[in-house]
Amino acid sequence: MMDGGMGKRGSAVGMVHLARLLQFSDSTLPIGSFAFSNGLESALQTGIVSDPASLLSYVDLILRQSARMDGIALLHAHRAALAGDDEAIRLADSELFCRRVGEEQQLMLTRVGKKFAELVLTIMTAPTLERWLGDIKANATPGCLPVGQAIALAHMGADEVEAFAMHQYAIGSMILSAALRLMRIDHLDTQRILFTAQGRVEGDYLAVRDFSLDEMASFAPVFDVLVAHHTTTHLRLFMN
Amino acid sequence: MALHEQLGRLDDARELRDFKAEPAQMRAAGPGKVGELRLGFSLCGGRSILHDLYRVAPLLVQQALYWDEAMPELPICSIISIGGGILQGDRYKIDISVGEDACAHVTSQSANRVHRMDANYASQHQTVTLERGSYLEYLPDFTIPYRDSRFINHTDIVISEDATLLYGEMMLVGRKHHRAEERFGLDLLSNAVAVRRPGGRKLFAEKILIEKGDPSVDYPAVMRGFDAFANIMCLTPPPVAARIQERFETQFPSEGPRAISGVCRLPNAAGLMLRAVGMETYDVRREVRRFWRIVREEARGRTLPQEFLWR
Repeated sequence: MMDGGMGKRGSAVGMVHLARLLQFSDSTLPIGSFAFSNGLESALQTGIVSDPASLLSYVDLILRQSARMDGIALLHAHRAALAGDDEAIRLADSELFCRRVGEEQQLMLTRVGKKFAELVLTIMTAPTLERWLGDIKANATPGCLPVGQAIALAHMGADEVEAFAMHQYAIGSMILSAALRLMRIDHLDTQRILFTAQGRVEGDYLAVRDFSLDEMASFAPVFDVLVAHHTTTHLRLFMN
Repeated sequence: MALHEQLGRLDDARELRDFKAEPAQMRAAGPGKVGELRLGFSLCGGRSILHDLYRVAPLLVQQALYWDEAMPELPICSIISIGGGILQGDRYKIDISVGEDACAHVTSQSANRVHRMDANYASQHQTVTLERGSYLEYLPDFTIPYRDSRFINHTDIVISEDATLLYGEMMLVGRKHHRAEERFGLDLLSNAVAVRRPGGRKLFAEKILIEKGDPSVDYPAVMRGFDAFANIMCLTPPPVAARIQERFETQFPSEGPRAISGVCRLPNAAGLMLRAVGMETYDVRREVRRFWRIVREEARGRTLPQEFLWR
Protein backbone atom coordinates (compact mmCIF):
# COMPACT_ATOMS: atom_id res chain seq x y z
CA MET A 1 0.00 0.00 0.00
CA MET A 2 1.32 3.42 -0.87
CA ASP A 3 1.15 5.81 2.05
CA GLY A 4 2.21 9.12 0.60
CA GLY A 5 5.83 9.28 1.74
CA MET A 6 5.33 8.53 5.43
CA GLY A 7 4.85 5.33 7.47
CA LYS A 8 6.47 2.28 5.87
CA ARG A 9 8.55 4.37 3.54
CA GLY A 10 9.77 6.45 6.47
CA SER A 11 10.24 10.17 6.69
CA ALA A 12 12.80 12.10 4.72
CA VAL A 13 13.26 14.49 7.62
CA GLY A 14 16.67 14.02 9.24
CA MET A 15 18.22 12.02 6.40
CA VAL A 16 21.13 14.42 5.93
CA HIS A 17 21.68 14.38 9.69
CA LEU A 18 21.83 10.56 9.68
CA ALA A 19 24.11 10.42 6.65
CA ARG A 20 26.57 12.80 8.30
CA LEU A 21 26.51 10.84 11.55
CA LEU A 22 27.47 7.76 9.52
CA GLN A 23 30.31 9.71 7.93
CA PHE A 24 31.73 10.67 11.32
CA SER A 25 31.34 7.10 12.60
CA ASP A 26 33.29 5.59 9.72
CA SER A 27 36.43 3.77 10.80
CA THR A 28 38.24 5.19 7.76
CA LEU A 29 37.86 8.75 9.11
CA PRO A 30 41.41 10.08 8.61
CA ILE A 31 42.32 10.96 12.20
CA GLY A 32 45.02 8.35 12.75
CA SER A 33 43.14 5.91 14.97
CA PHE A 34 44.30 3.07 12.69
CA ALA A 35 47.67 3.27 14.48
CA PHE A 36 46.19 2.20 17.81
CA SER A 37 45.04 -1.22 18.97
CA ASN A 38 43.90 -0.37 22.52
CA GLY A 39 46.29 -2.88 24.05
CA LEU A 40 45.25 -5.70 21.69
CA GLU A 41 48.77 -6.22 20.36
CA SER A 42 50.04 -6.98 23.87
CA ALA A 43 46.95 -9.02 24.67
CA LEU A 44 47.78 -11.27 21.72
CA GLN A 45 51.48 -11.52 22.52
CA THR A 46 50.69 -12.58 26.08
CA GLY A 47 47.89 -14.99 25.19
CA ILE A 48 45.10 -12.95 26.85
CA VAL A 49 43.44 -12.96 23.42
CA SER A 50 43.95 -15.98 21.15
CA ASP A 51 40.72 -16.71 19.25
CA PRO A 52 37.35 -15.14 18.33
CA ALA A 53 35.79 -15.98 21.71
CA SER A 54 38.55 -14.31 23.73
CA LEU A 55 38.58 -11.37 21.30
CA LEU A 56 34.86 -10.84 21.96
CA SER A 57 35.36 -10.76 25.72
CA TYR A 58 38.27 -8.35 25.24
CA VAL A 59 36.18 -5.97 23.11
CA ASP A 60 33.33 -6.30 25.61
CA LEU A 61 35.65 -5.30 28.47
CA ILE A 62 37.13 -2.33 26.60
CA LEU A 63 33.65 -1.06 25.75
CA ARG A 64 32.55 -1.42 29.36
CA GLN A 65 35.64 0.41 30.55
CA SER A 66 35.39 3.08 27.86
CA ALA A 67 31.76 3.81 28.78
CA ARG A 68 32.69 4.26 32.45
CA MET A 69 35.61 6.60 31.72
CA ASP A 70 35.60 8.31 28.30
CA GLY A 71 31.83 7.94 27.93
CA ILE A 72 31.18 9.99 31.08
CA ALA A 73 33.53 12.76 29.92
CA LEU A 74 31.84 12.73 26.51
CA LEU A 75 28.38 13.18 28.03
CA HIS A 76 29.59 16.07 30.22
CA ALA A 77 31.34 17.73 27.28
CA HIS A 78 28.23 17.33 25.10
CA ARG A 79 26.02 18.96 27.73
CA ALA A 80 28.60 21.75 28.21
CA ALA A 81 28.77 22.34 24.44
CA LEU A 82 24.97 22.65 24.24
CA ALA A 83 25.05 25.12 27.14
CA GLY A 84 27.91 27.08 25.49
CA ASP A 85 30.03 26.60 28.60
CA ASP A 86 33.68 26.47 27.47
CA GLU A 87 34.96 26.18 31.01
CA ALA A 88 32.91 23.02 31.61
CA ILE A 89 34.26 21.60 28.33
CA ARG A 90 37.84 22.17 29.52
CA LEU A 91 36.98 20.60 32.88
CA ALA A 92 35.67 17.40 31.23
CA ASP A 93 38.81 17.38 29.07
CA SER A 94 41.31 17.74 31.93
CA GLU A 95 39.42 15.35 34.24
CA LEU A 96 39.53 12.63 31.60
CA PHE A 97 43.18 13.23 30.77
CA CYS A 98 44.30 13.16 34.41
CA ARG A 99 42.85 9.62 34.66
CA ARG A 100 44.81 8.23 31.73
CA VAL A 101 47.81 6.15 32.80
CA GLY A 102 50.47 5.20 30.24
CA GLU A 103 52.31 7.46 27.83
CA GLU A 104 50.83 5.85 24.70
CA GLN A 105 47.31 5.84 26.09
CA GLN A 106 47.72 9.58 26.72
CA LEU A 107 49.12 10.13 23.23
CA MET A 108 46.29 8.16 21.62
CA LEU A 109 43.68 10.19 23.42
CA THR A 110 45.10 13.61 22.58
CA ARG A 111 46.75 13.17 19.17
CA VAL A 112 43.58 11.72 17.67
CA GLY A 113 41.49 14.34 19.48
CA LYS A 114 43.41 17.20 17.91
CA LYS A 115 43.38 15.61 14.45
CA PHE A 116 39.63 15.08 14.73
CA ALA A 117 39.07 18.77 15.54
CA GLU A 118 41.28 19.83 12.62
CA LEU A 119 39.44 17.53 10.22
CA VAL A 120 36.00 18.71 11.29
CA LEU A 121 37.02 22.36 11.01
CA THR A 122 38.22 21.87 7.43
CA ILE A 123 34.77 20.63 6.39
CA MET A 124 32.46 22.80 8.45
CA THR A 125 32.31 25.87 10.66
CA ALA A 126 31.98 25.14 14.37
CA PRO A 127 32.92 28.08 16.64
CA THR A 128 33.02 26.09 19.91
CA LEU A 129 35.27 23.45 18.35
CA GLU A 130 37.47 26.18 16.92
CA ARG A 131 37.92 27.74 20.36
CA TRP A 132 38.67 24.29 21.80
CA LEU A 133 41.35 23.66 19.16
CA GLY A 134 42.81 27.07 20.00
CA ASP A 135 42.94 26.04 23.67
CA ILE A 136 44.76 22.81 22.70
CA LYS A 137 47.35 24.74 20.71
CA ALA A 138 47.81 27.15 23.63
CA ASN A 139 48.29 24.19 26.02
CA ALA A 140 45.22 25.33 27.94
CA THR A 141 43.46 21.97 27.52
CA PRO A 142 44.72 18.46 26.71
CA GLY A 143 42.44 17.76 23.71
CA CYS A 144 40.93 14.34 24.41
CA LEU A 145 39.10 12.71 21.48
CA PRO A 146 35.74 12.07 23.23
CA VAL A 147 35.54 15.77 24.15
CA GLY A 148 36.18 16.81 20.53
CA GLN A 149 33.58 14.33 19.32
CA ALA A 150 31.08 15.67 21.83
CA ILE A 151 31.58 19.29 20.72
CA ALA A 152 31.36 18.47 17.00
CA LEU A 153 28.31 16.25 17.40
CA ALA A 154 26.50 18.76 19.61
CA HIS A 155 27.17 21.36 16.92
CA MET A 156 25.67 19.04 14.28
CA GLY A 157 22.52 18.62 16.33
CA ALA A 158 23.23 15.04 17.44
CA ASP A 159 21.80 14.32 20.87
CA GLU A 160 23.90 12.76 23.64
CA VAL A 161 22.55 9.25 23.03
CA GLU A 162 23.73 9.42 19.41
CA ALA A 163 27.08 10.85 20.47
CA PHE A 164 27.59 8.13 23.08
CA ALA A 165 26.70 5.32 20.65
CA MET A 166 29.03 6.73 17.98
CA HIS A 167 31.91 6.96 20.42
CA GLN A 168 31.45 3.38 21.61
CA TYR A 169 31.14 2.13 18.03
CA ALA A 170 34.41 3.84 17.08
CA ILE A 171 36.25 2.14 19.96
CA GLY A 172 34.93 -1.32 19.06
CA SER A 173 35.64 -0.90 15.37
CA MET A 174 39.18 0.39 16.08
CA ILE A 175 40.08 -2.77 18.03
CA LEU A 176 38.53 -5.08 15.46
CA SER A 177 40.27 -3.50 12.49
CA ALA A 178 43.54 -3.89 14.42
CA ALA A 179 42.59 -7.54 15.06
CA LEU A 180 42.39 -8.22 11.32
CA ARG A 181 46.00 -7.25 10.95
CA LEU A 182 47.29 -8.86 14.15
CA MET A 183 45.68 -12.30 14.41
CA ARG A 184 44.26 -15.17 12.38
CA ILE A 185 40.69 -14.03 12.06
CA ASP A 186 38.53 -13.21 9.05
CA HIS A 187 36.28 -10.25 8.28
CA LEU A 188 33.16 -12.31 8.92
CA ASP A 189 34.23 -13.12 12.49
CA THR A 190 35.13 -9.52 13.28
CA GLN A 191 31.77 -8.30 11.98
CA ARG A 192 29.97 -10.93 14.07
CA ILE A 193 31.95 -9.83 17.16
CA LEU A 194 31.23 -6.15 16.50
CA PHE A 195 27.52 -6.87 16.04
CA THR A 196 27.39 -8.81 19.33
CA ALA A 197 29.50 -6.31 21.31
CA GLN A 198 27.33 -3.39 20.18
CA GLY A 199 24.42 -5.00 22.01
CA ARG A 200 25.71 -3.58 25.30
CA VAL A 201 25.67 0.11 24.35
CA GLU A 202 22.22 0.91 25.70
CA GLY A 203 22.91 -0.66 29.10
CA ASP A 204 26.24 1.15 29.31
CA TYR A 205 24.63 4.51 28.55
CA LEU A 206 21.90 4.01 31.14
CA ALA A 207 24.51 2.90 33.70
CA VAL A 208 26.61 6.07 33.41
CA ARG A 209 24.38 8.89 32.18
CA ASP A 210 23.83 10.34 35.67
CA PHE A 211 27.46 9.99 36.79
CA SER A 212 29.59 12.99 37.73
CA LEU A 213 33.14 13.36 36.39
CA ASP A 214 34.46 12.21 39.79
CA GLU A 215 32.66 8.93 39.28
CA MET A 216 34.76 7.84 36.33
CA ALA A 217 36.08 4.45 37.46
CA SER A 218 37.54 1.23 36.20
CA PHE A 219 38.78 -2.16 37.33
CA ALA A 220 40.94 -4.21 34.95
CA PRO A 221 44.31 -5.04 36.59
CA VAL A 222 45.57 -7.37 33.84
CA PHE A 223 44.67 -4.83 31.13
CA ASP A 224 46.56 -2.18 33.13
CA VAL A 225 49.68 -4.38 33.04
CA LEU A 226 49.18 -4.91 29.29
CA VAL A 227 49.36 -1.14 28.80
CA ALA A 228 52.73 -1.07 30.57
CA HIS A 229 53.85 -4.18 28.67
CA HIS A 230 53.14 -2.65 25.27
CA THR A 231 55.10 0.50 25.98
CA THR A 232 58.26 -1.54 26.57
CA THR A 233 57.81 -4.01 23.67
CA HIS A 234 60.21 -3.46 20.79
CA LEU A 235 58.60 -5.59 18.08
CA ARG A 236 55.22 -4.12 17.23
CA LEU A 237 52.97 -2.71 14.56
CA PHE A 238 50.77 -0.43 16.62
CA MET A 239 50.94 2.28 19.18
CA ASN A 240 49.02 1.13 22.24
CA MET B 1 29.55 14.85 67.34
CA ALA B 2 29.76 16.02 63.74
CA LEU B 3 31.74 13.78 61.46
CA HIS B 4 34.78 15.23 59.71
CA GLU B 5 33.82 17.02 56.52
CA GLN B 6 35.57 14.69 54.07
CA LEU B 7 34.28 11.58 55.81
CA GLY B 8 30.80 13.05 55.73
CA ARG B 9 31.14 13.66 52.00
CA LEU B 10 32.01 9.99 51.45
CA ASP B 11 28.66 9.05 53.00
CA ASP B 12 26.96 10.57 49.94
CA ALA B 13 28.76 8.33 47.43
CA ARG B 14 26.32 6.72 45.01
CA GLU B 15 27.78 3.23 45.48
CA LEU B 16 26.83 3.30 49.19
CA ARG B 17 23.12 3.95 48.57
CA ASP B 18 22.04 0.37 49.34
CA PHE B 19 24.07 0.10 52.54
CA LYS B 20 22.54 2.67 54.85
CA ALA B 21 21.07 0.34 57.50
CA GLU B 22 22.28 0.83 61.08
CA PRO B 23 24.25 -2.05 62.61
CA ALA B 24 22.53 -3.96 65.44
CA GLN B 25 25.70 -3.42 67.46
CA MET B 26 27.33 0.00 68.07
CA ARG B 27 25.85 2.63 65.76
CA ALA B 28 27.74 3.66 62.63
CA ALA B 29 30.13 6.58 63.11
CA GLY B 30 29.37 6.63 66.85
CA PRO B 31 31.91 7.04 69.66
CA GLY B 32 34.46 4.24 69.42
CA LYS B 33 33.79 3.78 65.70
CA VAL B 34 35.62 6.87 64.43
CA GLY B 35 39.35 6.22 64.31
CA GLU B 36 41.67 9.14 63.77
CA LEU B 37 45.35 9.39 63.14
CA ARG B 38 47.58 12.41 62.47
CA LEU B 39 51.27 11.91 61.82
CA GLY B 40 53.64 14.84 61.19
CA PHE B 41 57.28 14.29 60.27
CA SER B 42 59.86 17.05 60.06
CA LEU B 43 63.57 17.67 59.97
CA CYS B 44 64.89 18.60 63.42
CA GLY B 45 68.60 19.09 64.04
CA GLY B 46 69.43 17.33 60.78
CA ARG B 47 67.28 14.29 61.65
CA SER B 48 63.80 13.30 60.48
CA ILE B 49 61.50 12.85 63.45
CA LEU B 50 57.83 12.23 64.19
CA HIS B 51 57.07 15.63 65.76
CA ASP B 52 53.27 15.42 65.73
CA LEU B 53 51.14 12.46 66.76
CA TYR B 54 47.42 12.43 67.45
CA ARG B 55 45.40 9.25 67.60
CA VAL B 56 41.94 8.06 68.46
CA ALA B 57 41.13 4.34 68.79
CA PRO B 58 40.60 2.07 66.91
CA LEU B 59 43.63 3.53 65.09
CA LEU B 60 46.94 3.59 66.89
CA VAL B 61 50.57 4.55 66.29
CA GLN B 62 52.97 4.33 69.20
CA GLN B 63 56.29 5.82 68.15
CA ALA B 64 58.68 6.15 65.25
CA LEU B 65 61.49 3.60 65.23
CA TYR B 66 64.69 3.65 63.20
CA TRP B 67 65.25 0.03 62.24
CA ASP B 68 65.99 0.15 58.52
CA GLU B 69 69.64 -0.87 58.26
CA ALA B 70 69.91 0.36 54.67
CA MET B 71 68.41 3.76 55.56
CA PRO B 72 69.10 4.37 59.26
CA GLU B 73 67.89 7.99 59.11
CA LEU B 74 64.34 6.84 58.20
CA PRO B 75 61.67 7.12 60.94
CA ILE B 76 59.25 4.20 60.60
CA CYS B 77 55.71 4.12 61.96
CA SER B 78 53.41 1.14 61.93
CA ILE B 79 49.66 1.77 62.01
CA ILE B 80 47.90 -0.59 64.38
CA SER B 81 44.19 -1.34 64.25
CA ILE B 82 43.23 -2.37 67.75
CA GLY B 83 39.87 -3.63 66.48
CA GLY B 84 41.58 -6.43 64.59
CA GLY B 85 40.28 -5.19 61.28
CA ILE B 86 37.70 -2.92 59.73
CA LEU B 87 34.12 -3.44 60.94
CA GLN B 88 30.74 -2.23 59.74
CA GLY B 89 30.06 1.35 60.78
CA ASP B 90 33.76 2.21 61.16
CA ARG B 91 34.94 5.62 59.94
CA TYR B 92 38.68 6.26 59.67
CA LYS B 93 40.57 9.46 59.06
CA ILE B 94 44.32 9.39 58.49
CA ASP B 95 46.46 12.50 57.87
CA ILE B 96 50.17 12.21 57.15
CA SER B 97 52.42 15.18 56.46
CA VAL B 98 56.13 15.32 55.77
CA GLY B 99 57.94 18.65 56.17
CA GLU B 100 60.66 20.17 54.03
CA ASP B 101 63.54 17.74 53.28
CA ALA B 102 62.31 15.19 55.84
CA CYS B 103 61.80 11.50 55.14
CA ALA B 104 59.51 8.84 56.62
CA HIS B 105 58.08 5.38 56.15
CA VAL B 106 54.55 4.46 57.21
CA THR B 107 53.16 0.97 56.97
CA SER B 108 50.55 -1.16 58.71
CA GLN B 109 50.99 -3.90 61.24
CA SER B 110 49.41 -6.67 59.17
CA ALA B 111 46.89 -7.27 56.42
CA ASN B 112 44.00 -4.85 56.52
CA ARG B 113 40.99 -7.15 56.90
CA VAL B 114 37.62 -5.72 55.99
CA HIS B 115 35.22 -7.94 57.90
CA ARG B 116 31.91 -9.37 56.74
CA MET B 117 29.03 -6.89 57.03
CA ASP B 118 25.26 -7.26 57.33
CA ALA B 119 24.50 -3.55 57.82
CA ASN B 120 26.12 -0.27 56.82
CA TYR B 121 29.69 0.03 55.52
CA ALA B 122 33.16 1.22 56.51
CA SER B 123 34.82 4.33 55.14
CA GLN B 124 38.24 5.92 55.25
CA HIS B 125 39.57 9.30 54.19
CA GLN B 126 43.29 10.01 53.99
CA THR B 127 45.33 13.12 53.30
CA VAL B 128 49.01 12.87 52.48
CA THR B 129 51.02 16.10 52.23
CA LEU B 130 54.64 16.32 51.08
CA GLU B 131 56.54 19.59 51.31
CA ARG B 132 59.61 20.62 49.30
CA GLY B 133 62.32 17.99 48.99
CA SER B 134 60.57 15.48 51.25
CA TYR B 135 60.39 11.70 50.81
CA LEU B 136 57.67 9.34 52.04
CA GLU B 137 57.09 5.66 51.61
CA TYR B 138 53.48 4.92 52.58
CA LEU B 139 52.96 1.25 51.89
CA PRO B 140 50.15 -0.35 53.88
CA ASP B 141 49.94 -4.13 53.82
CA PHE B 142 47.38 -6.04 51.73
CA THR B 143 43.69 -5.23 52.01
CA ILE B 144 41.56 -8.39 52.24
CA PRO B 145 37.83 -7.75 51.74
CA TYR B 146 35.79 -10.53 53.32
CA ARG B 147 32.56 -11.87 51.85
CA ASP B 148 29.75 -9.23 51.89
CA SER B 149 32.10 -6.44 53.01
CA ARG B 150 31.67 -2.80 51.92
CA PHE B 151 34.61 -0.44 52.04
CA ILE B 152 35.11 3.00 50.55
CA ASN B 153 38.40 4.85 50.70
CA HIS B 154 39.43 8.24 49.36
CA THR B 155 42.99 9.57 49.46
CA ASP B 156 43.90 13.21 48.75
CA ILE B 157 47.57 13.81 48.06
CA VAL B 158 49.27 17.21 47.85
CA ILE B 159 52.87 17.02 46.73
CA SER B 160 55.57 19.60 45.98
CA GLU B 161 57.28 19.38 42.61
CA ASP B 162 60.60 18.13 43.99
CA ALA B 163 59.25 15.68 46.60
CA THR B 164 58.90 11.92 46.15
CA LEU B 165 56.06 9.74 47.38
CA LEU B 166 55.76 5.99 47.03
CA TYR B 167 52.16 5.09 47.84
CA GLY B 168 49.76 2.42 46.83
CA GLU B 169 47.32 -0.32 47.55
CA MET B 170 47.81 -4.05 47.44
CA MET B 171 44.71 -6.21 47.46
CA LEU B 172 43.79 -9.86 47.70
CA VAL B 173 40.39 -10.59 46.18
CA GLY B 174 39.06 -12.26 49.33
CA ARG B 175 40.01 -15.02 51.77
CA LYS B 176 40.69 -17.37 48.89
CA HIS B 177 41.91 -20.25 51.05
CA HIS B 178 38.88 -20.09 53.36
CA ARG B 179 36.15 -20.92 50.87
CA ALA B 180 35.54 -20.50 47.14
CA GLU B 181 32.75 -17.88 47.50
CA GLU B 182 35.16 -15.55 49.24
CA ARG B 183 36.88 -14.77 45.93
CA PHE B 184 35.26 -11.47 44.89
CA GLY B 185 32.55 -12.20 47.46
CA LEU B 186 32.65 -8.56 48.56
CA ASP B 187 29.65 -6.28 48.18
CA LEU B 188 31.67 -3.15 47.43
CA LEU B 189 35.21 -1.91 47.19
CA SER B 190 35.59 1.69 46.13
CA ASN B 191 39.06 3.19 46.22
CA ALA B 192 39.83 6.65 44.88
CA VAL B 193 42.92 8.82 44.88
CA ALA B 194 43.55 12.39 43.71
CA VAL B 195 46.94 14.05 43.39
CA ARG B 196 47.42 17.82 43.40
CA ARG B 197 50.23 20.40 43.57
CA PRO B 198 50.22 22.78 46.56
CA GLY B 199 48.63 25.47 44.33
CA GLY B 200 45.66 23.18 43.64
CA ARG B 201 46.51 21.96 40.12
CA LYS B 202 45.20 18.43 39.70
CA LEU B 203 47.72 16.00 38.22
CA PHE B 204 46.22 12.57 38.52
CA ALA B 205 43.08 10.82 39.71
CA GLU B 206 41.99 7.22 39.74
CA LYS B 207 39.05 5.32 41.10
CA ILE B 208 38.78 1.58 41.37
CA LEU B 209 35.26 0.33 41.77
CA ILE B 210 34.32 -3.31 42.29
CA GLU B 211 30.69 -4.15 42.99
CA LYS B 212 29.12 -7.52 43.69
CA GLY B 213 28.00 -9.44 40.62
CA ASP B 214 30.28 -7.62 38.17
CA PRO B 215 30.66 -10.27 35.43
CA SER B 216 33.89 -8.77 34.11
CA VAL B 217 36.03 -9.85 37.11
CA ASP B 218 36.61 -13.24 35.50
CA TYR B 219 37.57 -11.87 32.10
CA PRO B 220 41.14 -12.76 31.15
CA ALA B 221 41.97 -9.03 30.86
CA VAL B 222 40.69 -8.40 34.41
CA MET B 223 41.62 -11.09 36.97
CA ARG B 224 41.12 -14.60 35.56
CA GLY B 225 43.74 -16.92 37.08
CA PHE B 226 44.98 -14.29 39.52
CA ASP B 227 43.92 -13.37 43.05
CA ALA B 228 46.10 -10.43 44.07
CA PHE B 229 47.00 -7.09 42.56
CA ALA B 230 48.82 -3.87 43.38
CA ASN B 231 48.69 -0.30 42.10
CA ILE B 232 51.73 1.51 43.45
CA MET B 233 52.38 5.07 42.38
CA CYS B 234 55.69 6.84 42.56
CA LEU B 235 55.15 10.60 42.44
CA THR B 236 58.54 12.09 41.67
CA PRO B 237 60.17 14.70 39.39
CA PRO B 238 60.43 13.66 35.69
CA PRO B 239 64.22 13.01 35.61
CA VAL B 240 63.94 10.59 38.55
CA ALA B 241 60.89 8.95 36.99
CA ALA B 242 62.77 8.44 33.73
CA ARG B 243 65.65 6.68 35.52
CA ILE B 244 63.29 4.41 37.44
CA GLN B 245 61.32 3.49 34.34
CA GLU B 246 64.52 2.72 32.46
CA ARG B 247 65.63 0.27 35.17
CA PHE B 248 62.36 -1.54 35.87
CA GLU B 249 61.98 -4.62 33.69
CA THR B 250 58.45 -5.48 32.62
CA GLN B 251 57.46 -8.94 33.82
CA PHE B 252 55.09 -10.81 31.52
CA PRO B 253 56.20 -14.41 30.92
CA SER B 254 54.00 -16.13 28.33
CA GLU B 255 53.94 -19.56 30.04
CA GLY B 256 51.97 -19.83 33.29
CA PRO B 257 53.16 -16.66 35.02
CA ARG B 258 52.88 -16.44 38.83
CA ALA B 259 52.92 -12.65 38.52
CA ILE B 260 52.93 -10.01 35.81
CA SER B 261 53.95 -6.39 36.23
CA GLY B 262 54.92 -3.23 34.41
CA VAL B 263 55.51 0.46 34.96
CA CYS B 264 54.01 3.29 32.96
CA ARG B 265 53.88 7.05 33.15
CA LEU B 266 51.23 9.04 34.96
CA PRO B 267 49.64 12.03 33.22
CA ASN B 268 50.85 15.61 33.71
CA ALA B 269 54.42 14.46 34.52
CA ALA B 270 53.24 13.32 37.96
CA GLY B 271 55.49 10.26 38.02
CA LEU B 272 55.00 6.54 37.49
CA MET B 273 52.54 3.76 38.25
CA LEU B 274 53.48 0.16 38.94
CA ARG B 275 50.76 -2.31 37.98
CA ALA B 276 51.22 -5.84 39.30
CA VAL B 277 48.94 -8.87 39.29
CA GLY B 278 49.75 -12.26 40.83
CA MET B 279 48.44 -15.54 42.16
CA GLU B 280 49.37 -15.09 45.81
CA THR B 281 50.19 -12.05 47.94
CA TYR B 282 53.89 -12.96 48.04
CA ASP B 283 54.04 -13.05 44.22
CA VAL B 284 52.74 -9.48 44.06
CA ARG B 285 54.83 -8.35 47.02
CA ARG B 286 57.96 -9.48 45.17
CA GLU B 287 57.12 -7.19 42.24
CA VAL B 288 56.33 -4.27 44.55
CA ARG B 289 59.62 -4.76 46.37
CA ARG B 290 61.52 -4.83 43.06
CA PHE B 291 59.98 -1.43 42.20
CA TRP B 292 60.40 -0.03 45.71
CA ARG B 293 64.13 -0.82 45.70
CA ILE B 294 64.67 1.05 42.42
CA VAL B 295 62.59 4.01 43.61
CA ARG B 296 64.57 4.34 46.83
CA GLU B 297 67.91 3.98 45.05
CA GLU B 298 67.08 6.58 42.41
CA ALA B 299 65.22 9.05 44.63
CA ARG B 300 67.29 8.84 47.82
CA GLY B 301 70.52 7.00 46.93
CA ARG B 302 69.68 4.28 49.49
CA THR B 303 68.76 0.67 48.90
CA LEU B 304 66.42 -1.73 50.72
CA PRO B 305 67.51 -3.87 53.65
CA GLN B 306 67.37 -7.64 53.37
CA GLU B 307 63.79 -8.83 53.62
CA PHE B 308 62.62 -10.21 56.96
CA LEU B 309 61.89 -13.93 57.05
CA TRP B 310 58.50 -13.39 58.70
CA ARG B 311 57.04 -11.00 56.24
